[in-house]
Amino acid sequence: MDRTQQNDIVRRASAMADKASSVADDFAQLLFPRTDVTFNDRMRSNARQYLRGVVNQIEQRICQIATRDLGVAHELLLSIEKDGESQSFALLEPSGLLNKPEIVQHLFVRAQQSELAARLLQKISQEDLESTLTRHLDHADPAVAEAAMGLLVAQSKTTGAAGEGAISLADLPPEIVYAIVWPVSAALARLSGSPGMRLQQAAERLLAEHDESASVVRKAERLAQLLEQGETDSNPHPMKDGLTLFVARLARQCGLTSDQIVTFTAEPDMARLIIVLRAADYSVQEAQSIYIALDSGENILTAATYGELDRDRAVALVSRWAAPDAFQNADRILARSYLGDDRQ
Amino acid sequence: MTTARKLAEPVRGEVDSDGLLLSADPLLMRLHLRCGGTEGRPLAVPELAALCRLSRRLGMNLSRPVQASDDDCRIEMWVETRLSVPDRDQPLSLSIIDWKEYSHDDSDMPDPARDRDFDRLEGRGTIRTDAALRIIAQQMPGKPARNVEVIGQSLLDIYDVIPPSAHTRLLEAVAERQPIRNQRMREKIGAQQLFVMQGHPLIDKTGLFAGYRFTAAQDDPEAGVDRTMTGEKLISDSLFGLQLGPALRQPLGKIIANAETISSKLEGPLRGDYASYAKDIASAGRHLLDLVNDLSDLEAIERPDFTVAGDDIDLIDLAHRAAGLLAVKAADHQIRLELPDQQRKLPARGEFRRSLQILVNLIGNAIRYSPDGSVIRLSVSGDQDFAGISVSDQGAGIAKEDQERIFEKFERLGRSGDGGSGLGLFISRRLARAMGGSLTVESAADQGSTFTLSLPARETP
Repeated sequence: MDRTQQNDIVRRASAMADKASSVADDFAQLLFPRTDVTFNDRMRSNARQYLRGVVNQIEQRICQIATRDLGVAHELLLSIEKDGESQSFALLEPSGLLNKPEIVQHLFVRAQQSELAARLLQKISQEDLESTLTRHLDHADPAVAEAAMGLLVAQSKTTGAAGEGAISLADLPPEIVYAIVWPVSAALARLSGSPGMRLQQAAERLLAEHDESASVVRKAERLAQLLEQGETDSNPHPMKDGLTLFVARLARQCGLTSDQIVTFTAEPDMARLIIVLRAADYSVQEAQSIYIALDSGENILTAATYGELDRDRAVALVSRWAAPDAFQNADRILARSYLGDDRQ
Repeated sequence: MTTARKLAEPVRGEVDSDGLLLSADPLLMRLHLRCGGTEGRPLAVPELAALCRLSRRLGMNLSRPVQASDDDCRIEMWVETRLSVPDRDQPLSLSIIDWKEYSHDDSDMPDPARDRDFDRLEGRGTIRTDAALRIIAQQMPGKPARNVEVIGQSLLDIYDVIPPSAHTRLLEAVAERQPIRNQRMREKIGAQQLFVMQGHPLIDKTGLFAGYRFTAAQDDPEAGVDRTMTGEKLISDSLFGLQLGPALRQPLGKIIANAETISSKLEGPLRGDYASYAKDIASAGRHLLDLVNDLSDLEAIERPDFTVAGDDIDLIDLAHRAAGLLAVKAADHQIRLELPDQQRKLPARGEFRRSLQILVNLIGNAIRYSPDGSVIRLSVSGDQDFAGISVSDQGAGIAKEDQERIFEKFERLGRSGDGGSGLGLFISRRLARAMGGSLTVESAADQGSTFTLSLPARETP
């Protein structure tokens, strides 16, 4: 064993000693999950790849701005700008800086979107799915047609099809870009030893140039808003609207967010999605068809099950889920103080 | 009432780093002021102000839906924020690219004009009173449209309450703002006609009791439940419309009214499926009532002494009224009704109620037999002698050999289960002819159908 290897073992042993107390926590999370949501290996792999890709792109963009626009001539930054090989991920991953609730929630939603897109592609061809939006291009309302064109263009700019886990900085929610940009710029400053001020400026420029209106999600939400404001011909359906627009339209109909709708599809039996459909007064046939399109094929929604759901109760539940997160969390904590509270 | 969302130019505004609204286009300034803001003070539209704060905190340009509300309406917007680079202390620019207003009054408020048209179609009269039961407006069957003599008088000075009820019981119901059902009342003067009244309390925008709206149906004292009590023969040969019809309408009306009350949960909460059953009962009741009405009409038009009134009518106005009555049914099937310009006039002569009945029948048929999402077009034509209105649909059309058969009694062309009785077109054509006009059809298989009602033209004064 040479000296380098010995040093490596020493470094890893020291690092492990610092984290030893967390091993039981990690194992406990696996043994005793707090929800019934299952995360398959594909989702974990997708989420991990996606996070790495996002960090890479942000890092490369910061280096581009620093070296090209601000004239920083540092070898490491120039190399990242040129080759795009991430340096900061290895530093950030174990630090816990990427383990923030908003980032993890976003990763989960993206991973679940990929799952849904894959399921959808088993039932409809990629070509048909991509052509769903073209039907709005001839819409009588020019605002709708224009928004549909905007969404088509935004989707086409994304590498690969929507939901395939493709990474585009333009599609990242501003809050997520903000949450990742600063740790990345700090990591770059540490790794390169270059002045932090310049990298901060580069990060600020990256934030300022980000245009949320160009993202696929916002384009879909705007189209959904215009469609729902006008005379819509029918309820949304994933195979008629495509996944992104379907989610946006359903979310708008129910006063929920697109992320909530995607999250509901990951839950056992998609129970909350069924409640949402019932609250929005979808017919049995529509609900069953949507369920089949989004389900992995293991479950069924019977007409009797759906038909027996009390719509008033469903509306009340959805209205509670539409409340601000802070209110829902507080309500949940307070409810624990009262025995016999059976609210869900 | 809603405003269009398409803005010729975005609505713009500027907000400084302290949240003060520095400048705003008139639409945004109006909203800011209505939300309690003043010029040069912090932006007072909560969700918009929050978006500006978030945009500044992140140092990023955002693009999001925003909702706002003032005393008059709810507004849905799509807003984009733009920060100036590199000086973040410069004002943030707001650009509102979509703006749609929904009046608070839009929400399922009943349309009195539409209600009146329904009443006239059914041959019912209406009386509107104030909180002290003084008559504000009255339109009774067979009476002049503007009967000014009764306006301002107490309802109880014009009508006698017929036992078993009494003035005191009626007044108790009024005092408690309760609906008044099946109250028989007789005119004190004139023809002393007998009416059955249904009264609905009216609540104004501030939540205060504002009076009653009564609907009044003519009552035949010789017909009805009382006669069954005496064991007298109810049906005298063919007098369906005069005897059996009214006797059936009254209980059917009660069934429908009660089922609708249950389904709309006016009397309290109810399980969803039970409300749905009640809706089915109301729907079946309405179908049965339609059938009774058709049979009554059939009996009426076949009587030798059947006559129609020669009112001065405007076919374009009638088309809009008929379309208004069926707007909900059309919307249920995503069908668009394309109507002639309401500013135009097409004067004709014919009985108002019967002409409306024909148009409702034609548009109702078009909705029933058209594919969902299609268009039904009403167009007008006319010459010196006749004024015509056509209802064109995009349905399956009618084969040439069937085009005369559909005007025959009980002819359904083999269809069933769609709520029709097979009498509508027969009655409509007979009514059109009784008014000196005609009802014709042009159609071909898979080409849709066009029904044209022609009535004698009337010169405008």
